[in-house]
Amino acid sequence: MIKVSLHSLHKSISILVLFFTFNLAYAQQIPTEPEAIANGESLFNANCKTCHRVHQKLVGPALANVYDRTPSIDWLKSFIRNSAALIASGDEYAVNIYNEYNKTQMTAFTGLKDDQIMNILAYIKAETEKGPPVAATPAAAGGEGGGSGVSSEYLNIILVGMLLILVLLVIILVFLVSALKRFLDQKELSEEDKELVHSPYTLSSVTRSAGFRFILIFIIGSLGFKAVINGLYSIGIQQGYEPKQPIAFSHKLHAGAYEIDCKYCHTGVLKGKSATIPSVNICMNCHRSVKTESPLIQKIWAAADWQPETLSYGPNQKPIEWVRIHNLPDLAYFNHAQHVNVANIECQTCHGPVQEMEVVKQYSLLTMGWCIDCHRKTDVNSKGNAYYDKLVELHSASNKEPMKVEDIGGLECAKCHY
Amino acid sequence: MKNMKRLSVTLFIGLSLAVVLASCKAGGDKPGLEYAPNMYHSVAYEPYTQITDQSSGSWLTSIEYEDGHGEFYNSNALNPHRMNMRMPPAHTVSRNKANVLPYRLPKDSLEIAAKIKSPFEGVDNAQLLADGKALYTMYCTHCHGAKGEGDGKVATGVTIDGVERSAYAGVANLKGDAYKDITEGHIFHVITAGKGLMAPHGSQISQEDRWKIARYVKTIQK
Repeated sequence: MIKVSLHSLHKSISILVLFFTFNLAYAQQIPTEPEAIANGESLFNANCKTCHRVHQKLVGPALANVYDRTPSIDWLKSFIRNSAALIASGDEYAVNIYNEYNKTQMTAFTGLKDDQIMNILAYIKAETEKGPPVAATPAAAGGEGGGSGVSSEYLNIILVGMLLILVLLVIILVFLVSALKRFLDQKELSEEDKELVHSPYTLSSVTRSAGFRFILIFIIGSLGFKAVINGLYSIGIQQGYEPKQPIAFSHKLHAGAYEIDCKYCHTGVLKGKSATIPSVNICMNCHRSVKTESPLIQKIWAAADWQPETLSYGPNQKPIEWVRIHNLPDLAYFNHAQHVNVANIECQTCHGPVQEMEVVKQYSLLTMGWCIDCHRKTDVNSKGNAYYDKLVELHSASNKEPMKVEDIGGLECAKCHY
Repeated sequence: MKNMKRLSVTLFIGLSLAVVLASCKAGGDKPGLEYAPNMYHSVAYEPYTQITDQSSGSWLTSIEYEDGHGEFYNSNALNPHRMNMRMPPAHTVSRNKANVLPYRLPKDSLEIAAKIKSPFEGVDNAQLLADGKALYTMYCTHCHGAKGEGDGKVATGVTIDGVERSAYAGVANLKGDAYKDITEGHIFHVITAGKGLMAPHGSQISQEDRWKIARYVKTIQK
């Protein structure tokens, strides 16, 4: 008997609650006017977008249908304005959500007015009815950096073809000449004409002459000499070295298109000798959620032993073996901080347009002559640096030219060799 | 005729020398021929070089090493992954110029962290803001945008050759209502430990620099 009555009580309460929410939901119509939706969109972008999307779960839940699935519009309003209070009051729905999202507290938007929240809901409703956006087809994924390479290849083929045609033309002309000669020989010709046909300067007589041979040997010899000298000069210079890296990281995409500052990843450049190769956790700053399906990103995940469920790094980490490109010999000392922090030199001055490189290569010679040339030409960046004040004073007392690096010992052997 | 022969032999040797030397040039996967290779392959451990092949450079070896490894071998068998660098031992603290101890509040202590005062509290000069701006441009702009409106290239995504490339979802609009009243301590803590979709940036940016960024963010929020 008691059981039954309890049951019926439960039932009646839930009906009451249902009725109540129904009533409230209908009492507060979500606006459908375009102005309300537009206003809601800008409010959504300014306040909600950081953690919520309409069709996608981010930090917080996807908001499609949120006005239908939550207890009521009023409940939503109080949750948006102060979710902590609602959770503390023991509201079941609020507590469940809080626990489901790893106890992440939603920011309290106390400043949002009733009509603003309704406008946001209007925008969410409009987006819900539109349905999730169709995923863009990754058709051009394979076509990266293709275009220019292919066309230059075609150009080469066309050039070779034209050369072949020219050679064929020459052969045909030689045949024509000999045929004409034979034809003229059969005819009766005057002495003058005979001399013209049988000129002493035939192709073979010219090629057998000493003068021709001297010229030919001289040309081949000097070309060979130049090649030998060029080859000797290339020893010890790694300019153009463009090794394949274990992960095909594109500077063109990251530094170029996305405009990520060089120093964001190469963090040592302002403070140390080495610009530093970024550690894997810097990759993971973005790639914990960007492009995670790519096999290259999976390599990063494996190196960091990334655990996507707990959003943490596991114990089985292993280093990525990037291939070193720039390698100064041990006999020379170089310090990035002095050049980038103190002298304020752009990375591109020495490393070239890295933001346009799909694969990074050594851009500069990195020879001593190259260093010294720059030390002779470059003015010391002494502005606002008290260290240089007296040096500049002394220099300008005897010299009208601005102070160059060479004037303060930039060419001293022991500056770099010790 | 004899002269001729000698000349052509010299030419031939010269040309083949040129061809051989031309192949020494660097390019692609080839680093090129090294002059004095001992100087390019350090005997001392080098941070960004690791050659694990024991026999590498043995053709050149001038020193008799105990384990008989070649001149170019450069890796430390005692370290994990035979790396030349090691992680600092646990519970050690690096010395720094400002003599500050590491910031150790865990990620979920945002509420306490928000009450921490900046070491630049009360300091207000152009240099501090200029530093903050430079650091913000370096570390924050590509996501949060130059004005903090969450419209950096990484947040909005880019289109290359007509293909839309991924964008990083959930970048905060620092001028939004939710962030208007946050303290410098709050900003400092979020940079250090991350929050929501933002990853921790404590390893990249020094404590001092993080406080400078926090100050700059407060000024662009106005």
